[in-house]
Amino acid sequence: MDSDSRPPPDDGPSDPNPNPRPEPDPEPKPKESTGEERLSSLTVEDSGNAASCRPPASHGFPPADLYAGDEIEEEVPPVASCSADEIDGAAGEAWGSSSYGGGVSWRESSEQDEDAPPSPSSSGYAGERGSSGKSGITEVDDGGSSQDDCSRGKEHRDEDDASVSWRKRKKHFFVLSHSGKPIYSRYGNEHKLAGFSATLQAIIAFVENSVLCIFSYSGDHVKLVRAGNHQVVFLVKGPIYLVCISCTEEPYEALRGQLQLIYSQMLLILTKSVHRCFEKNPKFDMTSLLGGTDAVFSSLIHSFSWSCVSCMVANNNHCKDIVCGEDMYWKLDKPSLHDQQGLSLFAAAGKILWVVFHLAFDGTHRNPAAFLHAYTCLPLAYGTRQAAGAILQDVADSWVLFAMFMSKHKVVSLVGAQKASLHPDDMLLLANFILSSESFRTSESFSPICLPRYNPMAFLYAYVHFFDVDTYLTLLTTSSDAFYHLKDCRIRIEAVLVKSNVLCEVKRSMLDGGLHVEDLPVDSSVHSGSLSPHLGLDKMSAGSLSSCIGIGGPAGLWHFMYKSIYLDQYVSSEFSSPINNSNQQKRLYRAYQKLYNSMHDKGTGPHKTQFRRDENCVLLCWITQDFELYAAFDPLADKALAIKVCNRVCQWIRDSENEIFLLGASPFAWDGVACGISLSCNITRNYTTCLNNMVFQFSWTNTVDDGLGLCTGAKFTVIFYAPAQIEKPM
Amino acid sequence: MATFGNNNLSAKLVLLGDMGAGKSSLVLRFVKGQFLEFQESTIGAAFFSQTLAVSDATVKFEIWDTAGQERYHSLAPMYYRGAAAAIIVYDITSTDSFERAKKWVQELQKQGNPNMVTALAGNKCDLEDKRKVTTEEARAYAEENGLFFMETSAKTAINVNDLFYEIARRLPRAQPAQQPAGMVLADRPVDRSRASACCS
Repeated sequence: MDSDSRPPPDDGPSDPNPNPRPEPDPEPKPKESTGEERLSSLTVEDSGNAASCRPPASHGFPPADLYAGDEIEEEVPPVASCSADEIDGAAGEAWGSSSYGGGVSWRESSEQDEDAPPSPSSSGYAGERGSSGKSGITEVDDGGSSQDDCSRGKEHRDEDDASVSWRKRKKHFFVLSHSGKPIYSRYGNEHKLAGFSATLQAIIAFVENSVLCIFSYSGDHVKLVRAGNHQVVFLVKGPIYLVCISCTEEPYEALRGQLQLIYSQMLLILTKSVHRCFEKNPKFDMTSLLGGTDAVFSSLIHSFSWSCVSCMVANNNHCKDIVCGEDMYWKLDKPSLHDQQGLSLFAAAGKILWVVFHLAFDGTHRNPAAFLHAYTCLPLAYGTRQAAGAILQDVADSWVLFAMFMSKHKVVSLVGAQKASLHPDDMLLLANFILSSESFRTSESFSPICLPRYNPMAFLYAYVHFFDVDTYLTLLTTSSDAFYHLKDCRIRIEAVLVKSNVLCEVKRSMLDGGLHVEDLPVDSSVHSGSLSPHLGLDKMSAGSLSSCIGIGGPAGLWHFMYKSIYLDQYVSSEFSSPINNSNQQKRLYRAYQKLYNSMHDKGTGPHKTQFRRDENCVLLCWITQDFELYAAFDPLADKALAIKVCNRVCQWIRDSENEIFLLGASPFAWDGVACGISLSCNITRNYTTCLNNMVFQFSWTNTVDDGLGLCTGAKFTVIFYAPAQIEKPM
Repeated sequence: MATFGNNNLSAKLVLLGDMGAGKSSLVLRFVKGQFLEFQESTIGAAFFSQTLAVSDATVKFEIWDTAGQERYHSLAPMYYRGAAAAIIVYDITSTDSFERAKKWVQELQKQGNPNMVTALAGNKCDLEDKRKVTTEEARAYAEENGLFFMETSAKTAINVNDLFYEIARRLPRAQPAQQPAGMVLADRPVDRSRASACCS
């Protein structure tokens, strides 16, 4: 999805359709549908199905042979008609690269696209040569792009800011102290990065001082520097500064949220009292306190991006080009710094310019929890989960504050002491901490940890025991003497779990995976129902797709995520074959992330529904008071069918909520949830953006919902506009 | 602490030492007979138990393998409190780790149980060519401080079991009649003169 080449969604509502497309065809259409030989990287199996389902090219669709993808995995697409003027400062990066508008779905190659424009080779970046020569360091060029074995431990420990490979990384995370001492760097050796850290510190300090001069009060911090297609995001937490330098085009809010999680992960290990060390000694070196935790942060960062290796190139020589030539702005709490200051600030940074590169991938960390702020449960029969919950409840007493029974990131059961509640972010961080440290699997252990959302100042003690390689029990206590008691509790729990077969069920469920879009129950009305008359998509009927097992759900449904707001839980479908590739999954994840942020943008008010189509996929988001649904469809999916399928997904989840959610003390609010097919919408806001003639965004406000809070029986009508119609204000 | 009953001893044993010295490797070699070239950092403390048969009794070790990272130092008393035995581990290829070991010895002498059986283990003795801490230096230090000393290698298993057996033998034998809860009873002090020699 190529939202970066378009106005951000939050700008949309006021966007008077800047670029309406001429032909009345809302479907993605390649700008150069001349049968040019860009190859899809869909698998043959998929493409066969896709080709057979696609309407002929005369309908404005890409020729079928575009979908008959060869199995070339890393094909570098030609630059094609990438209309640079439409790409605001986002020069051909992952999603941005898709602006060549082909109908190719989810190209595996597009992570490679980034480096295609300058040169097809990985080193197609002239600047790096000069710089590396200057630094006199001869690193193995691009050592990282082919290595994805970094799920554990430090990634590329020997790099520093003079290394070519280091500068090619696509997404850097740094933590430093307010005196500029490095604390953590995702790549490279912290100690070798002292100079770079000092530079970052100088930027932050400069802005703070400038703002002081201008506004005569303190407390303002630089939040974002944008340079070309790169963002430098800052988060200041007392004496600890966190910086992300990224060209992944993720929204600012998402990156900031990730920094927040990194900070919280640090608190989980050390508690917030680490701030006091800096009060005592401003030059305190915190790296020693974090010894042995590289794997924890690496794993957390993986869960943000699903990416393993990313690249960035910083270059002194190009700094001026960037400053002068690309859009660049500062986003401050008080946004009135002059450009001039921005420029000089950036000059202070000295050397940050990036060229995009390429990602390898580690598909084992897929965790939308990082931005959904919710946790997910292992699907289990209601009775099984009840049995697990009962025994946990049985041992929960004055010693046990929380008992968590999990398998990987999925919750089997969860019990808290009275009035103690566990925040989903804390669960995410604790699970990440436990899962990323092999030490916990070796034997039972008893370790101090802090739950930042529960009490950032205090340690709790975590008794952790793995029943098998994935499944583990965590008992949290406030008492440092409780180990033997907790051990006894665990023995009792384990006995019950074995006896009642819960452990076997858990294992089986882990093997089965979660919900599969192919299993979406058939709703006969969809099959027999009339299709939208003006779209002519009958060939894409739900029936034809849903009958093809393994290529996604009905109506081209590829994937969905559903978050129950009251339960703080989400459920997402397993990836099916249209997105079976790691890069595709990551791209989908980023698309969801953008969608999430646009839906939750406070500046434009809450959106209720968003429908977004580009050449990669169709994304549909629906938010009510009770749930948020994010769904991805085939790019040619019919809109009306997509809506219906979303309703069926909601119904499906509602029908199986006993098995996929942990229904505990949280308020249970299914009554009156607008899950049905019908929900009447009054369009209070609508807009479209047509960059590349591809994207449509609609936004509805549901008057019934707004007025009553409950909206059973209301009708959900979706109106789709062909581009010609969109030209007129609606 | 060591508790006694039917010729069965249960003894809490704690391993202390700098990170990377090989505490977890020693324990894993002893308990599971395993060795990993790249042992991950321990988080907090890991708990193991292993039973040994010595001449006159069976000894059940409850082993606390503590993390060597600095952030856990302040939490160490939680783990060594009440321990009947401690193994302080250093890496013979690192003088820093030996210095760190000395600090642990001091801390245990200050705060620990005077009857605690304390062993000093110079681990990684297979890396003779990288040695930085001589056997003589370490042994002299151990004798000065009433520790028994061994050089070990978790990798090659040299002296690992011997270390634990020696601790088991030295554990004070409790006298059944006078065992109030929470007290470690010892009928003889640690025998300093019998500090064992090591492999080299």
